[in-house]
Amino acid sequence: MTRSAAAYRNLRHRARRHFTAARRGLLIAFEGPDGSGKTTQRKLFKTWLQSQGHSVVTTKWNSSELIKPIIKSRKTVQSLSPEEFSLLHAADFRHRVEQTVLPALWSGNIVIADRFLFTGLARDVARGLDLDWVLKLYQPLLWPDLVFYFAVTPDTSSRRITASRTPNFYESGRDVTALDDPVESYYTFIKRVIKEYESLAIIFNMLTIDAEQPIGEQHHRLRALFRDGQTRPWSEWNVDAVAEWLALDRRHR
Amino acid sequence: MTRTRGRGSLIAVDGVDGAAVHAVAKAEIKAIARARRGGVSVWDASGIFGELVVAADDAGRPSARTLLLLYAADLAFRLRWEIKPAVEKGHTVAAAPYVATAIAFGRAAGLPGGWLNSLFAFAMQPDAARVVDKASPRKAKKVCFVDFGCTHLSANGHGLTRHQLAARARAHLTRFALPQSSRTAAAPPPPPRARRR
Repeated sequence: MTRSAAAYRNLRHRARRHFTAARRGLLIAFEGPDGSGKTTQRKLFKTWLQSQGHSVVTTKWNSSELIKPIIKSRKTVQSLSPEEFSLLHAADFRHRVEQTVLPALWSGNIVIADRFLFTGLARDVARGLDLDWVLKLYQPLLWPDLVFYFAVTPDTSSRRITASRTPNFYESGRDVTALDDPVESYYTFIKRVIKEYESLAIIFNMLTIDAEQPIGEQHHRLRALFRDGQTRPWSEWNVDAVAEWLALDRRHR
Repeated sequence: MTRTRGRGSLIAVDGVDGAAVHAVAKAEIKAIARARRGGVSVWDASGIFGELVVAADDAGRPSARTLLLLYAADLAFRLRWEIKPAVEKGHTVAAAPYVATAIAFGRAAGLPGGWLNSLFAFAMQPDAARVVDKASPRKAKKVCFVDFGCTHLSANGHGLTRHQLAARARAHLTRFALPQSSRTAAAPPPPPRARRR
């Protein structure tokens, strides 16, 4: 075995030992289509967790300080192809995993992700890209301990989003639907996105919340699911993601 | 990789010395009949890396994986706007650098080959490939992707210096990409321009 292979094996061992300790950080993802009420529930849930004495860090989709401006400027001029859209969001995700998510988990915090890699998968596949190729962009995979999927119908999503504003170019999928009307395009696109989400929710064992229910009921369901799910064992699938991050970050060597 | 052959052709020119790679790419295009010249497609045509340079320090430095995802996004841009349209019109384009340089950089940084190959699966197969394995005789003035990436990684505490990373990338290119391509020494420097008096 080469020296670097031995060092990597040691990092994998450290990752496993750290995250199988009695008290560890938890990663909780909030997923669902636009207009499903994720952000409202995420805020309520965060406040409740903090009231229970947990230290909570939040990360949002497309929010890395390094990559977000790059994506924003290209969205403004509507210059992104589906591949570029997918690759830039994967870069933003990777940077946040390395800079925000893993450091917070390593320090024992609860990390709430307002959208996680499943958002990338659902949207990119709805844009016609191959699921296997998109999934590989996000490797090494970091699986959340819990994924709450907020399920709504395309009609509900469309009604809630278009009630107060016009969906923007990429949000409405006008880059792939070839429809000029943003509302009509949004409905067509969100149907595809929801179809992909529903498949992903089954494949990845997400905890489905009926997002058509009143806000209070949804919140109490979240609490119950969290109580049942917080003692889930650490996913061994995550060992490569953590080991690679440890190799990057000298502070933890 | 998907083979999308138009009426023209794509020549991939890879290497770790930016100036040498560019010189070879220019020479390749110059050797083609003027009517079929499609030009040289260079790194960072989309301006992504230029924007990274001016990003705030507290935004955090990108890792090798992040840099490669960004390189792939830039390559998707180059393919869409520069390479495929020219090839479809029957022109010959030299992509300098193309996929092999990025894979060599990724391997030098310790990333798995399977991930790198999958990342660039969208890129069209070149009709010809050149690997430039010698440095430019001139003092290199062009910052290339490998320079940029190695500088970022070494500053990020990767554990290897910029030169060590670049040497690894060069070794990888020589070992794996050369057998499938034609080795090309750096083009000779152009004659010095006559000074205006």
